[in-house]
Amino acid sequence: MKQKIIIWLSVTLLLVIVAFMVKDFFYQPKNSNDNPYEYKMDKLRHIDSSLIGYKQYNLIKPDIEQLHGIAVDKSDNIYIAGKDKVIVYNSELKEKTSFKTGKEAKCIAIEDNGSVYLGIQDHLEAYDSNGKFLKSWNPVNEKSVITSIAVTEKFVYVADAGNRIVYQYDKTGNLIKEIGKKNVDKGIPGFIIPSPYFDLLIGREDELWVVNPGRHSLESYNEKGDLVSSWAKTSMDVDGFCGCCNPSNIAMLSDGSFVTSEKAIERVKIHLPSGEFKTVVASPENFDEGTKGIDLAVDSKDRIFVLDPVKKSVCVYIKK
Amino acid sequence: MKKTVAYTVLIFIISLQLYNSFAVQRFPKPEFESGYIQPPTSTPDPRSEAFAILDVVVLIATLSVVTWMVLKKRNRNGVFWISIFSIAYFGFFCEGCICAVGSVQNVTYALFNPVYSIPITVIAFFAIPIIFTVFFGRTFCAGVCPLGAIQDIFVLRPVTLKSWLLKVLGLIPFIYLGLSILYAATSTDFIICRYDPFVGFFRLNASFTMFMLGGIFLLLGVFIARPYCRFLCPYGVILNLVSRVSKKHLTITPAKCIQCKLCENSCPFGAIDKPVQVKEKEESHKAVRRIMLLTIIIPLLVLIGGYVGSRFHENLARVNHNVQLAQILLNPNNTQPDSFEVTAFKSSGKSTEEFFKETALIVNKFYIGGWILGGFLGLVFGLTLTSLSIFKYQEDYTPNKGTCLSCARCIDFCPVKEDER
Repeated sequence: MKQKIIIWLSVTLLLVIVAFMVKDFFYQPKNSNDNPYEYKMDKLRHIDSSLIGYKQYNLIKPDIEQLHGIAVDKSDNIYIAGKDKVIVYNSELKEKTSFKTGKEAKCIAIEDNGSVYLGIQDHLEAYDSNGKFLKSWNPVNEKSVITSIAVTEKFVYVADAGNRIVYQYDKTGNLIKEIGKKNVDKGIPGFIIPSPYFDLLIGREDELWVVNPGRHSLESYNEKGDLVSSWAKTSMDVDGFCGCCNPSNIAMLSDGSFVTSEKAIERVKIHLPSGEFKTVVASPENFDEGTKGIDLAVDSKDRIFVLDPVKKSVCVYIKK
Repeated sequence: MKKTVAYTVLIFIISLQLYNSFAVQRFPKPEFESGYIQPPTSTPDPRSEAFAILDVVVLIATLSVVTWMVLKKRNRNGVFWISIFSIAYFGFFCEGCICAVGSVQNVTYALFNPVYSIPITVIAFFAIPIIFTVFFGRTFCAGVCPLGAIQDIFVLRPVTLKSWLLKVLGLIPFIYLGLSILYAATSTDFIICRYDPFVGFFRLNASFTMFMLGGIFLLLGVFIARPYCRFLCPYGVILNLVSRVSKKHLTITPAKCIQCKLCENSCPFGAIDKPVQVKEKEESHKAVRRIMLLTIIIPLLVLIGGYVGSRFHENLARVNHNVQLAQILLNPNNTQPDSFEVTAFKSSGKSTEEFFKETALIVNKFYIGGWILGGFLGLVFGLTLTSLSIFKYQEDYTPNKGTCLSCARCIDFCPVKEDER
């Protein structure tokens, strides 16, 4: 009798398992808005207020349909570029001048003599300090997506996210060399650029600093194209960079520290020249979720200019 | 000379593996120090080539040893310890993948999808146990399959099921096999892997539901020995059929059976065929009449099964992701916000008409598949009826070549020694 009960209980349990599998397979709704693999970013987006070392000082609302690039010249004039025009503000943040370009400039750089370089998709356009059109450089190629320009006394450096390379030009637009191409013998790892955010700047010693976003690193090259130094920090925490490709933009303070901006977890931070995290300038709360391409610039007083392409504004940050 | 060639080949293979150690990681892995819990994935990390080869070598070695233990040494303890090894190696070390049971789907998928390049390892895991079974019976089930081995440990108080109940429950694996082939052939799902009750244990990442499912199977296994192997395992169906023609199968007695009946209840799986009395033998004219009747009934059952299967093809197809998406897109009353699938489809740029055409092809595959599946199940049902109604005359206690798992338990009960031959 006891054995019979065991048998029938066991068989019933077996059939219940089979029924469960059938129900789970055939009747479980498969389409759902719950993504089990979704990154839960909420916690990561929160930044402890004690880590924020800067405060908002002022806000510029440029009358440009789409904002893309910002640069500061040696007199602390602020140049903001975007669709169709460039607006120039003085150091008091008052509009000084503006000029039409008729193109969508994705990036901007200012030479010491006041010449303005705009990156227009696959080529550069040069303007004089009064906004007079000077020259359109030859396009690179159809894959080219120019995302950043930096100018030294001798050269113009152009970051091309499409070709994943940095070009070194002379001032007349002649290509001198390509920088950053993978070269194992020279220890150059090659740029990993999964998205069109690829920034560069000129350091205090005229060295070139380039973001290698896929490696979460910053790399420094001399004018010969040799890799001089680099640092990288991959971290989901505030002290590093995460995701496929960060930081998206960089700028440099007078002490050689780097100002970095990121996408996905929208934030602006400062890293020491060695790469160690120093402080937060702007937390994700300061941006709309999904904001990308937060361009940066720094003036001689170490004020940090943060261009927000979604809010169409430039926020000025100073130390607390 | 041969040794030199062998060593050269070995060094070459090892040097190929060394190449990987110089590879540079293109994308640094994000670290999750900040408390983020990575969701468990449905498949483990891919094995390196060297480990994949090692897995096949270990499979062959384990199968050889267990076959030797069962057929030559006739040693149940040896089989048990190999089972423990199999749980450790194929279960925990290989994380349950690739396994022969699930390989049925890979092979089916490869047959129906020319673009899928099936790994040699998978073919090996599918074919090698079958080859061994052709010659030696189900020694793979005895101690190599980690799913079987883990259940075998829990066979503590087995009860004997009635033969009719065994036959009825024995139909489930055929249905499961048919469905798993249908869904693999239509690129819908690998249901054997999805409902593998023990893989979560092996990977130490079972969801609560799968943990419960595996736990219930093991608990059930205390009384009904190896419930998954006997009443669900689709690969067991193939081995069952192949084993019937096995050349050298396990025998209970090493010599002449002395009819002592000691082994009668030794098999926890009810896989011992008992002697049939001469008086129970059927009269020949009755047997002829029944065979004639079955000759009509079986094709009829195949037809009916096929027809019923084809009528259910839309229900079967409902599980396919493309069909599900098409149903959502076709539903004009859908007021729910777009699911991830709908959003992904809309952003793909593919036209709805084109997608519906593709989905109609999938549904048509299910229509054909429904016919085949139904016909197959009708045939299985018919043959089961036949086997129930046929009296197979035999004089000795013998293992049923199809259902015997070659576990060698019965051997310990036989008092006849080999030297008495």
